[in-house]
Amino acid sequence: MIVKRGIAVSHGVAIGPALVLGTESFQIPSRFVRVNAVESEIVRFRCALENVCREISTNEQLASQQIGEKYGAIFGAHLQLARDPKLIGEVESLIRTRHYSPEFAASQVLRRYAKELQNLGNHYFAERAADLFDLERSMLRHLLGEQREEVANLAEDVVVLAHDLTPSETATLDRKHVRGFVTEVGGSTSHTAILAGAFEIPAVVGVGHFLADVSGGDIVIIDGNHGEIVIAPDDETLERYRDSAERSRSLAQRLLSRGSRISKTKDRVRIEVFGNIEFPEEAEHCLERGADGIGLYRTEFLYLTTFSQRSEDDHYRAYRQVVETMGDRPVVIRTLDLGADKIPGAAVRAYKQRGNPELGLRSIRLSLDNLSLFKTQLRAVLRAATTGDVRVMFPMISSLMELRQAKMILRDVTEDLEDEGVDYRGDLPVGIMVEVPAVAMMAEEFAREVDFFSIGTNDLIQYTLAADRSDPAVAKYYNAADPAILRIVRRIVQAAVQADLPVTVCGQMSSDPKFVPLLVGMGLRQLSTTPLAIPEVKEVVRSLTIPQAEEILGRALEFELARDVEVFLRGELKKICPDLVE
Amino acid sequence: MTESDVTRRTVTVGLPNGLHMVPCSGIAKLAAKSASTVRIVGNNVTADAKSVLDLLQLKAECGAELIVEAEGEDAAAAVESIVRLFETNFDPDGDRPESASTDTALP
Repeated sequence: MIVKRGIAVSHGVAIGPALVLGTESFQIPSRFVRVNAVESEIVRFRCALENVCREISTNEQLASQQIGEKYGAIFGAHLQLARDPKLIGEVESLIRTRHYSPEFAASQVLRRYAKELQNLGNHYFAERAADLFDLERSMLRHLLGEQREEVANLAEDVVVLAHDLTPSETATLDRKHVRGFVTEVGGSTSHTAILAGAFEIPAVVGVGHFLADVSGGDIVIIDGNHGEIVIAPDDETLERYRDSAERSRSLAQRLLSRGSRISKTKDRVRIEVFGNIEFPEEAEHCLERGADGIGLYRTEFLYLTTFSQRSEDDHYRAYRQVVETMGDRPVVIRTLDLGADKIPGAAVRAYKQRGNPELGLRSIRLSLDNLSLFKTQLRAVLRAATTGDVRVMFPMISSLMELRQAKMILRDVTEDLEDEGVDYRGDLPVGIMVEVPAVAMMAEEFAREVDFFSIGTNDLIQYTLAADRSDPAVAKYYNAADPAILRIVRRIVQAAVQADLPVTVCGQMSSDPKFVPLLVGMGLRQLSTTPLAIPEVKEVVRSLTIPQAEEILGRALEFELARDVEVFLRGELKKICPDLVE
Repeated sequence: MTESDVTRRTVTVGLPNGLHMVPCSGIAKLAAKSASTVRIVGNNVTADAKSVLDLLQLKAECGAELIVEAEGEDAAAAVESIVRLFETNFDPDGDRPESASTDTALP
């Protein structure tokens, strides 16, 4: 049993066999073989091994001819490794004596050796563990052969473990069978975190190196409440977690049963709770949980599943699905918030080659740099807005000039649609994400030129505290409870309230129940959260009065350190909603 | 098998990055051709010279002293061929030690 700690990014507990994703992904279909099949399984292992060796020999020849002898020698070393008598002996012995399947046995043995290498304490040797993982991958590929399991077609429920989840990997995952995510890297607002929120499954990220400790098929517990994972748990631990999973399921069930009611504070002030979504199907989840609308519809998913141009109709169909699901409730569609590397045609200027992607050509800047892409999306939004209550929102605006440019393009598109006689709606509300500190400083001026603000706390925190949210080394500097963050968010809300402008918080801050009293105290009457958090947030709202929330804000602002703010807010939440604090 | 059948020689690792994957595989390849039992001893580890994984466990860095020993009918030849590898610093083309820069180019 091994316990690892990371950052909890999506609540809940998941227990299941591990699916370890590498550059190629396999699920080990079964860990054991029947006793009378042992000999035939060993033959299968030897055949696969022979094929692996043949493949490496071919690569060795190719590399020697095309790149040089020295590189060929690397494959030569791999070949020697694949033929290692100790390795073969151990794998066969596991199949014979413990009835492991060849896949499971090979994975176990290779990973144990990889781990020993990593523990040698010599950096140069430690990196050679990668060669063993490579060998494991080719072993599994050959063993599984035709019966190789596609990640898209899982046969049973699994927990997915990876160094990092790439958008293409997650896009092909069979969502029915994925119970949780764990990644070695990533922060609380990484792609994995958003995706886990969307899938409504527990996730722990930023765990550091741990994949060497796991073989595919090992039982893994993901504790998304405490940011822990347990690999190969003992019976007692497993029992404890099963109990706790059961308890949280029943709490969620209880909250859900009250979820569809309108959420008013105890002193009868209506607080609207919207959902943040990424995939069109999530609109349904929001409705089930009693969302008052969609406060943030991220539209990047269209570009995350495939690296190809998306047509206006692709956009239109996705938007219509959400608008139709939500009926009269508001749907706020955010225009693309992507880096240049995700966009065909713009990839040449790919931001990832630059030193500082978060400050580079991304989001609205990319849209303004690539007008055909931007116009395609805006046309689809306007066309999808003919029924329902659709609003459009520009991300990462940093200056009034940029906002005016974006609005001008929107007008151009409206005129084009008018000229073409296409069915559309041109007068939809236009808002911005307030997530660059410059906009917070100019909030009064921006309030005169838009119809609503949506405070994107994820980026706002990152830019205000100068901490890359996805870098584990500096993740500790990224903290929503920082006094500077409370002040900057309050400043934005005050400017909006004075201008009588609707304002919401759509970052992860509003999905965390302990911040809800604070945000309501600032004057927010709309919050937008992950669908899973809607019932909890509503529960906090119903247990609160406005004067109480204002007092919590006042006292929170007296603290000088993030740590103290956090402790205070957790304590207050415990008084208001003891159920929600563990 | 008596003690007289065992051949032993002491060698020193001259590779700047130590006895890593590629040189280990070179040793294993040679040892595999021999009918004898071939071992390399050092760092309180006795490694089966036919196993790359075992050899890596020697953690032999540059300057480490190792004992190459073999037991069997062609023991002397097996030891000789492996010692030769160390003496030429695993460079099949010559006997001068390869420079640090070429070695680091190899993972």
